[in-house]
Amino acid sequence: MQSADNAPPNDPLASLSMANPTMKPLPSKQRGQPLILDSRPLSQPEAQPTTPIRERRTNPSAASLFRSTLTPPGSRSGSPAPMGSPARSLTGSVFGSGGFKQSLLDTAAAENPGDPLNLILKSFVPHIAIHDSEDVEHLVKEKGFKGGLFELLRPFGERVQGRVTIRDSNGAARTWDDFSVRFTKFGEAIEDPDTLPDPRSLRGPPPNGQPPGQYSMPRKKTSLVQQVEQVVEKHLGFAEEASMGPATPTTPTRQGLDTDATSPYYALYLRRLLSGIPMASHETFSHPVACVIAISSRHPAPIEALRQLYSETTPAEQRIPPWVDGDFLRYYVLVHDEERSDITKSMQLFDQMKRHFGLHCHLLRIRSSQSAETDDDSIPLPRSDWMSASEELADIERSEQLQDSFDDDPHLFNRYIFESDATAIRTFIREMVIQSIIPTMERNVSLWNDQVASRRRGISGRFMSLSKRFTMFGSSSSSSSTSRNSSSSNSSNGFETLGYYRPDTPEAIMRRLADFAFMLRDWKLAMSTYDLLRTDFQNDKAWKYHASANEMAALSLLIMPQNMSSKNRVEIINPMVEQALYSYHTRCSSLYGAVRSTLLSLELLRLRGGTGIDESVRWGTRLLEMRLFGPIGDALLRERLAVCYASKRGTGSQLWGSRRRKSAMWSVLAAQAWVSMGKYLQAQKCLADARRMYSLLPSEWGVQGFNGASELLAGLNEAVREGLRVTREYAEALEAEGGHSHSQGGGNNEGEGMGLGLQFDESSNLTIRPKPDASATGTSTGTQEVLVDVDVEQDGFNGQSASSQSQESQGPPQIPTPTASSSSAHSPEITRDSEPTPQQSGGFEDATPSSGPSSGNSPTRPRKASMAVRTSKALSAADLEQAGLGPGPLSPLMPARLASGSGSVSGRGDESKSSSSSRDGKDGSGFH
Amino acid sequence: MSYYFAIIGTQDNPLFEYDFGTSKQGGDGMARFTEQARQLNQFIIHSSLDIVEEVQWTNGQMYLKLVDRFFTSYISCFLTASNIKFLLLHQPPSSSSSGLPASSSGASTLTSSSTTTLGQHPPSSTSTSSLSVIPSLSTLTGGGGNSSTITLTGGASRTSTSIAANPTSPQTEEAIRNFFAEVYENYVKAIMSPFYKTNMEIRSPVFRARVAAAGRKYL
Repeated sequence: MQSADNAPPNDPLASLSMANPTMKPLPSKQRGQPLILDSRPLSQPEAQPTTPIRERRTNPSAASLFRSTLTPPGSRSGSPAPMGSPARSLTGSVFGSGGFKQSLLDTAAAENPGDPLNLILKSFVPHIAIHDSEDVEHLVKEKGFKGGLFELLRPFGERVQGRVTIRDSNGAARTWDDFSVRFTKFGEAIEDPDTLPDPRSLRGPPPNGQPPGQYSMPRKKTSLVQQVEQVVEKHLGFAEEASMGPATPTTPTRQGLDTDATSPYYALYLRRLLSGIPMASHETFSHPVACVIAISSRHPAPIEALRQLYSETTPAEQRIPPWVDGDFLRYYVLVHDEERSDITKSMQLFDQMKRHFGLHCHLLRIRSSQSAETDDDSIPLPRSDWMSASEELADIERSEQLQDSFDDDPHLFNRYIFESDATAIRTFIREMVIQSIIPTMERNVSLWNDQVASRRRGISGRFMSLSKRFTMFGSSSSSSSTSRNSSSSNSSNGFETLGYYRPDTPEAIMRRLADFAFMLRDWKLAMSTYDLLRTDFQNDKAWKYHASANEMAALSLLIMPQNMSSKNRVEIINPMVEQALYSYHTRCSSLYGAVRSTLLSLELLRLRGGTGIDESVRWGTRLLEMRLFGPIGDALLRERLAVCYASKRGTGSQLWGSRRRKSAMWSVLAAQAWVSMGKYLQAQKCLADARRMYSLLPSEWGVQGFNGASELLAGLNEAVREGLRVTREYAEALEAEGGHSHSQGGGNNEGEGMGLGLQFDESSNLTIRPKPDASATGTSTGTQEVLVDVDVEQDGFNGQSASSQSQESQGPPQIPTPTASSSSAHSPEITRDSEPTPQQSGGFEDATPSSGPSSGNSPTRPRKASMAVRTSKALSAADLEQAGLGPGPLSPLMPARLASGSGSVSGRGDESKSSSSSRDGKDGSGFH
Repeated sequence: MSYYFAIIGTQDNPLFEYDFGTSKQGGDGMARFTEQARQLNQFIIHSSLDIVEEVQWTNGQMYLKLVDRFFTSYISCFLTASNIKFLLLHQPPSSSSSGLPASSSGASTLTSSSTTTLGQHPPSSTSTSSLSVIPSLSTLTGGGGNSSTITLTGGASRTSTSIAANPTSPQTEEAIRNFFAEVYENYVKAIMSPFYKTNMEIRSPVFRARVAAAGRKYL
């Protein structure tokens, strides 16, 4: 499913399994989910093509493509409370500036879907290649999956059902709820992540220069990072377009700068950056840990077919590059067609397979006919969360083309499978992971650790690594441990001549050991191994390897429990990140690696809190300075830095040490970037964040005392308002052509928090554009204020800040209810009417232009005016407003601005405009 | 090297703002901020108050030295009694125009949007008529503000040992200390006026002239 998490409550597969009595018992955590969450899959557009309002103009199937950013993160994660087991939900104290003694995994962040830490855990997971015979592909195609078994299995790997117990190198077992694996197609996605090949690796015979190499190295026009940006841009565009519909419900998707919620676009950016990790020589995360070899029961000569498939997966066939260890686990699967084949025959065949190939076999019984939505036991097959950027781009483009040709094809993107199939696949994956893959990985880890890594750890090991560099001794002795390739002793490790490490060299084995340990979440072992490798690779001048080892060492050090002081941390971790960045960027010109390593370190440092936040921002500014991103990434990162700063907690009543001003500034900078790209919705959101931050300041002046700064803000507001108006009018013009009928559906959808659009400010029951009378909107802010901490779906972004404002505005008793959505058809006109008149839309925006000229003409006058206001400032802005003596035309920026800044944030144009304009209408009546 | 000096009141409100350029090495004492950078500077100064608030508890001195850095903008701070802060933002000339890697399109859009508001009135960050030459000059040059800075860079690279080019060097630190000390002296004199109340803007032209003189003298 495209939602940005695969948390239990939202995972239709998981929830479905609850309904199925044949399933293995689920952890109580999942069982305890509230009912409404269990029914979530049904409420999602895939399952409910009764068109929600926003999809009126667009292809419904397209909406499902963009789901990850459409659904508010709050609703996606469910309420945070039931997410973690009680032992883990203690979060607040952990992030204090003092203690870093806990592993990050023990904090709640690890469980928060969409959270970067969670993304990191879910992205560096074992990859399982799938190699199926043609008859299996036929069978699966009959079910409606063109991509073969891979496409069918992929969504299920994102959450291995049930708990998974992993033993670390010391034999201590730890249980994980959220283990996942990634399926890849065998022999695909082998590519350099960047367009520029590593010059070092080209020095020897380049990897793709192997004469009859059948694996292809597609040179793509765009690098991975650019593709990621394109994907995010598509999402942004879709959201913008969709939310521009006049009757589009506004949804809170973001809790202001709530530091626990990740902006959906940033989460998407990270996710796409991390999904589709290309199979590269310098890291083995995407190298297959195992290979599923599948045939179907229809095959006439099954055992021979299996042998044939097996031999295709061996390195001799060269479908995999030579740097990949060909010694991975083979897992044999017999796909039994429930409808056409004879089960007794299949059982016999399966027994035969077991005799031939040992225990790593599975009989997968699925039905071969296509499941339709109308079938009783059909469930939607979610799209994979972890499809790579290029795949998603292709999907989106396909849907765009389809949209032009005919209306919608529900079967293209919304596919269904039978419940029994889902159950079978889930069982299959669980069995494979628990009984075969994890034990194999554990065995490999301990084997390599004993045979290769531990030799290097002692004093003798260091000596050996020294001697190895000067003599041939080291490699010949260590290659005896894995004496598969007899030709390994001609040079020390072959890097000099080949440009990569052969899989049987100790370096490559240790790298695999470290990666395995990382995937099995044994951070300590991973860390120590990466640490050894860092020096090795540096000595060999294998810079990409070096960069990657540094990156992973920093990451595992950041994740594992730390006892170090912040000073130590600066001294240890920063150089690692620095070297990773330098090696990736300068030495290898690997944009992808540089961005990934720095972004991930930034995120983990942020979670460490305290001084870690300053460091994380330092890395962020560093990235910005290097200009590695395109415009989208740049703006997203600015937004993220604002969040970073916002998550720093202060101490004492004045909150010394917090970074609210910094955070606000970065929000403004992000808004600036969005405006320059014409993404006004995002800009609006950032401006609102900034305003909220400023209003949180004890000084209650924000940055408004500064003329230039407030001019900048006013200019941004103006641009956003203008931009939104134009886009909106365009959308309305479009809308006028199409019919309008679905408003009720939209309302329902909205009520479940499933709406889209990136409006932040209004609680979700504001489906309706409120009529421009002051009371309704005021109430909405009021209710919002109350709900802030209770309900994530209620946006509450202006919660704490709005204190004075909303106290006042809580008065009017009308609470907009979804039933009022009948009025939504009419509301747009009203709203639009109220927009252009400046005195109505007042507040923030137009206060400034009016004050501008005066301040310019006579330099002293505005000062006087502001002084006058300043003296009366004891009255809070809300008081002024209430008393009906608004700041008036004379008063410059401040009070009106503060009022709007803390209350419903004006200058957001559009949806929120309606609220602000209506309220300002009240103000205006007070003033004039 | 361009400087932006601000005295910040207890409510984060600017009591006094003044931007100027270096007068050493043949500098003309003019600030080379574009209009956008000028606006951004105020954000930077304001945001570095966060750092000042943190640093002031760890440091017994009134002069807090370099407290913050935002890309190429460096901020030094001097605390006075009653929690009034002197903040000096200094930008080495190499990239004084682009304090932040704004995409060029973004910059242009923004300046266009801000100039529409600005078109009605001259920028107001400077209050005295004598100084209003500077912003109007830089607005006139507009995008050329970049090029003028670049030519300045060429000049400054020859004198790379100057305080202008090394915002973190001890010499710069010392020069700024002297500047702050002199401004502080004048500031105390200025606020001793019986009509001055806390957090009022300092509009004394004498004070402004003296700050300018201190800037010429030390920076």
